[in-house]
Amino acid sequence: MKLNIEGLLVYFPYDYIYPEQYSYMLELKRTLDAKGHGVLEMPSGTGKTISLLSLIVAYQKAYPLEVTKLIYCSRTVPEIEKVVEELRKLMEFYTKETGEKNNFLALALSSRKNLCIHPEILHANIVVYSYHYLLDPKIADLVSKELAKKSVVVFDEAHNIDNVCIDSMSVNITRRTLDRCQTNVDTLQNTIQRIKETDAAKLREEYRRLVEGLKEANVARETDIYLSNPVLPDEVLQEAIPGSIRTAEHFVGFLKRFLEYLKARLRIHHVVQESSPQFLKDIYEKVCIDRKPLRFCAERLRSLLRTLEIADIADFSPITLISHFATLVSTYSKGFTIIIEPFEDKTPTIANPVLHFSCMDPSIAIKPVFERFQSVVITSGTLSPLDIYPRILDFRPVTMASFTMTLARTCLCPLIVGRGNDQVAMSSKFETREDFAVIRNYGNLLLEMSAIVPDGIVAFFTSYVYMENIVASWYEQGILENIQRNKLIFIETPDAAETSMALEKYQEACENGRGAILLSVARGKVSEGIDFVHHFGRAVIMFGVPYVYTQSRILKARLEYLRDQFQIRENDFLTFDAMRHAAQCVGRAIRGKTDYGLMIFADKRYARADKRGKLPRWIQEHISDGSLNLTIDETVQLSKHFLRQMAQPFRREDQLGLSLLTLEQLQSEEMLEKISQIAQQA
Amino acid sequence: MFNVDRRLKFPSALILCLHYPACLLVMAALSEEVLLVVKRVRQRKQDGTLYLMTERIAWGPEGKDRFTVSHLYADIRCQKISPDGKSKIQLQLVLHTGESTTFHFANESTALKDRDAAKDLLQQLLPKFKKKANKQLEEKNKMLQEDPVLFQLYKDLVVSQVISAEEFWASRLKLSSVEHSLSNNSKQEVGISAAFLADIRPQTDGCNGLKYNLTSDIIESIFKTYPAVKQKYAENVPHNLTEKEFWTRFFQSHYFHRDRINTGQQDIFSECAKQDEKGLKSMVVQGVKNPMVDLLSLEDKTLDEGYGSLTVGPNSSKTVKENSNSAIIKRFNHHSAMVLAAGLRKVDAPSDQASETSSTDGNSRDSDFFQPPIKKVKLQEAIEYEDLQNGSGPKTIALNLKKSDRYSHGPVPLQSHHYSTSQDIINSVSCIQEEISCYKPCLTRVMPSSAASSAITALSPGGLLMQAGTQQAVSQLVPTDVQSELKHLYTAAGELLRHFWSCFPVNTPFLEEKVVKMRSNLERFQSTKLRPFQEKIQREYLSTNLTSHLDEMIQAAYNKFHAWQTRRMARKT
Repeated sequence: MKLNIEGLLVYFPYDYIYPEQYSYMLELKRTLDAKGHGVLEMPSGTGKTISLLSLIVAYQKAYPLEVTKLIYCSRTVPEIEKVVEELRKLMEFYTKETGEKNNFLALALSSRKNLCIHPEILHANIVVYSYHYLLDPKIADLVSKELAKKSVVVFDEAHNIDNVCIDSMSVNITRRTLDRCQTNVDTLQNTIQRIKETDAAKLREEYRRLVEGLKEANVARETDIYLSNPVLPDEVLQEAIPGSIRTAEHFVGFLKRFLEYLKARLRIHHVVQESSPQFLKDIYEKVCIDRKPLRFCAERLRSLLRTLEIADIADFSPITLISHFATLVSTYSKGFTIIIEPFEDKTPTIANPVLHFSCMDPSIAIKPVFERFQSVVITSGTLSPLDIYPRILDFRPVTMASFTMTLARTCLCPLIVGRGNDQVAMSSKFETREDFAVIRNYGNLLLEMSAIVPDGIVAFFTSYVYMENIVASWYEQGILENIQRNKLIFIETPDAAETSMALEKYQEACENGRGAILLSVARGKVSEGIDFVHHFGRAVIMFGVPYVYTQSRILKARLEYLRDQFQIRENDFLTFDAMRHAAQCVGRAIRGKTDYGLMIFADKRYARADKRGKLPRWIQEHISDGSLNLTIDETVQLSKHFLRQMAQPFRREDQLGLSLLTLEQLQSEEMLEKISQIAQQA
Repeated sequence: MFNVDRRLKFPSALILCLHYPACLLVMAALSEEVLLVVKRVRQRKQDGTLYLMTERIAWGPEGKDRFTVSHLYADIRCQKISPDGKSKIQLQLVLHTGESTTFHFANESTALKDRDAAKDLLQQLLPKFKKKANKQLEEKNKMLQEDPVLFQLYKDLVVSQVISAEEFWASRLKLSSVEHSLSNNSKQEVGISAAFLADIRPQTDGCNGLKYNLTSDIIESIFKTYPAVKQKYAENVPHNLTEKEFWTRFFQSHYFHRDRINTGQQDIFSECAKQDEKGLKSMVVQGVKNPMVDLLSLEDKTLDEGYGSLTVGPNSSKTVKENSNSAIIKRFNHHSAMVLAAGLRKVDAPSDQASETSSTDGNSRDSDFFQPPIKKVKLQEAIEYEDLQNGSGPKTIALNLKKSDRYSHGPVPLQSHHYSTSQDIINSVSCIQEEISCYKPCLTRVMPSSAASSAITALSPGGLLMQAGTQQAVSQLVPTDVQSELKHLYTAAGELLRHFWSCFPVNTPFLEEKVVKMRSNLERFQSTKLRPFQEKIQREYLSTNLTSHLDEMIQAAYNKFHAWQTRRMARKT
């Protein structure tokens, strides 16, 4: 159908539309009109992607000078492929409707092997790739540096974007890394020696270039051609590379010294935590390395590797890592912390020293993106509470909205189970999680559900270790065997290949009618990347609240930073983080309006307002007072009732006019009034 | 110390109610191979000769060339012999019907030898026939056990001797054998319960031992799920180990206990575990067919080693406890996969191959133009919104009707003049719709709401105007025991009527005979079952129209019978 979104003609490649899609497009258009950034939360399965694509493509066609490019970032390869598929559908629709040959160029990058197509990126109207191509400075510099300012950037499935930012800026150094660096340095030295004998001119040429400084890069950035790079800070561009590391030999000598220093730092017996300035002070005192050459380290190494015409850069990844560390630690005095741990907490007898250089401020990595591109849209099915993202990513959005899912029948059923039938409270909180009664009640819950839920059930645990312990104790108690009478059991393992196989078998068992249970882990690969549509997931059980492991020093440092810099209280952040993962897990089961599923939160803490209030609105609004703190029996009764209702035929006619609209229905005054209430502005 | 107790369960409770037709066929005329002849055997104080043939045992009195006693082996339940040292040396045959025949071996010098020869031969022969008989018997048993309604019917009709057991089973077994052949064609096999190992939960036997209950079903499940164990069984039993020893070792092995780590090498099952491990590995290496669940290619892995905030300790050593925990998890996955595979082993061959060949060349992943079909399909599935698109409902099989009118209206008596075609109905419906759509209420003549609601109350069940024809549900009026009795009567009558109506059209002498018999069966049913019930409800207060429908149905059958009979008479004369 063809839509009129506030004066913009939008081709929408379907015969019907969900009200919230229309509402979403309205908000999106307002964001683009204002040339600002937006945060939009809309449940999965309501056709978010096609709404985004339809509107932005229409916008690009209508105002080719205002928006020149769409950069669509998603998280996983299948998601990227889905976007491409939807885009193809949209383009086919355009061709069919307008009769014109499609002149839109869309490009998808789904593997780093494809980096050679870099010039094409500049000409494409739409680029679809993974977050890292934009957020990871090492890759962004290669792929995305020259993308036009007038681009619209979309981060889909962005609920974890802060972690992606942090990951791309954090570095871990082990003894093994340093050993491999040593080899790298030796290779460099030998290569330089060889070249000096055969082609000394090459090194002289490089030297000359370095004296000229990085002026070129500076010019480019000032004239607004390049996306700035957090690893290549502005100050670096304005200065020439310091004399002490300008010749290749000197630089290698410098690297050696730096390596020796790091090796010495790893020879410790107690945990050390320090800030970047403290580290710089120490390195100056111990080995007389100045801040300035450190800052140029990454750029200098890049130049050297290019000059030496090293074929396989991958072999030099350890020394590249170290050079990035050097530049980052000397560039940012804030937002990072250095933690050196001599051994793992679990195994204090085995020496395994690691230097963590941890980014605590996700805004550092994403700052260039917000600064450069005129509109950046952050969207996902679960972004609650909406206001936290602008705070931790440090940007000012022009639109923030959460959309509900309009439903003709309530196809999701969130239930909070707080007690066993013996009235013992169920909770995964630290003090009671190993409690025999809690584990048994969790087992009984799964057992009872396995008897009444058809086809597939997915259960998530708060951590892998916890799942292992529970599975072992369920095995000893014979609970698993009883569950097996109802369904087959498959369990996620740390091995991705093994888990993939278990997943496929799980689906097979759901497909052929046997029914199966998948035991899985929140924050794991399954919880983030696999959908359980229709009969693949008729119920999701979240055992416990998936808090992150709070004893980690890195996390503690980050919490402290959040508190000091953004005034976000530790508990608020931890709860937010736990709830977004819980929402991700339970949201796996509902992938559309024709789908249905139970969402069982098995922990009494979910009933508290501070937890419940952080769930996405489209889940929260279906939690009634009657579904809080239930016993297992009550849960079973409510579930049975829900499943019986859902098993009734559900036809288009039931949806039409309520949660599914024809063009005529959409155009009625009354409906437009209703639609305006779908978006809740934060 | 382990103690394996192998208990085979046989349905035992129902054997009593099966009435076996006693087959007393005399078929001396046919030549049969005679396996043993024993002379001077007395039966009912009459001298004669005992013959054991391939299919039956027979006895004929001296000097006559026909058998007065003849039993098929299949009809014999068991043989009994007189205790040693007794003066009369006898052999008794007990039939399934409960009757028995006793033979007295009277040849003084060789009586014992004669009897033992006969006994030994019977001992060899009977089991063969028993199996055949048992099979049928078991099948009947099973049907009765699985179907309580049938069982009730059996009690109502056969035990109370309304119809004979033969008649009862005649149509039933045919039905079941039809089903059987159908299921054979589509090869739908029953899968294995995932919990079959749970059924062997050990019990302590009180003297420091454990007792496992192992049934043949469980053994079969183990073999089907773990072919490696079956192979071990074939290799070792009975040459190296007795069956009991084999299973004892099975239960002792780490293989059975999933949380045990493989330690002992002398264990015969350690090889099985290794094979499993290998199988599991090869499955994992093979990878998954559905790219949407492939976690390995999920991420566009861009973070190099050393970056990221997660501490990845690849060499983090595990404790024994953790090792055993992950062993449990691995084995559960493996077990489920094996159970699933055991259920699919035969069925999936053709469809599987097709998809496999199409997805093996996975290296074309990056090219959009040459995607493996399975991936394309899965992607399409993933982005599809069935409700946003027109005409993409679930694919159903179109109903193919020869006479759609008959389907819509059901059989309508032909003399009725109000026969309307579906077109008429559609027209009138649209007519009504039209009228409704342009219906304008005349607001001046509207009844006040209070009057309207009182009218509705009066007209609702229990209301003032509804007293006369109170339509209370039978379930509220009639006590439950009468209800259930009525239910039984209905099923019994239904069964009899089914037999009756299945005779039409009556075109063979056999059917003629049957229809007459069925009519008399019906009459018998009416007199022995229905009448007493009717009298009972009369006595008890209840309205007789409870059974009026039953009466009607039976009457309809009588009418039909009567019509058929008069027509037949007319034709004959």
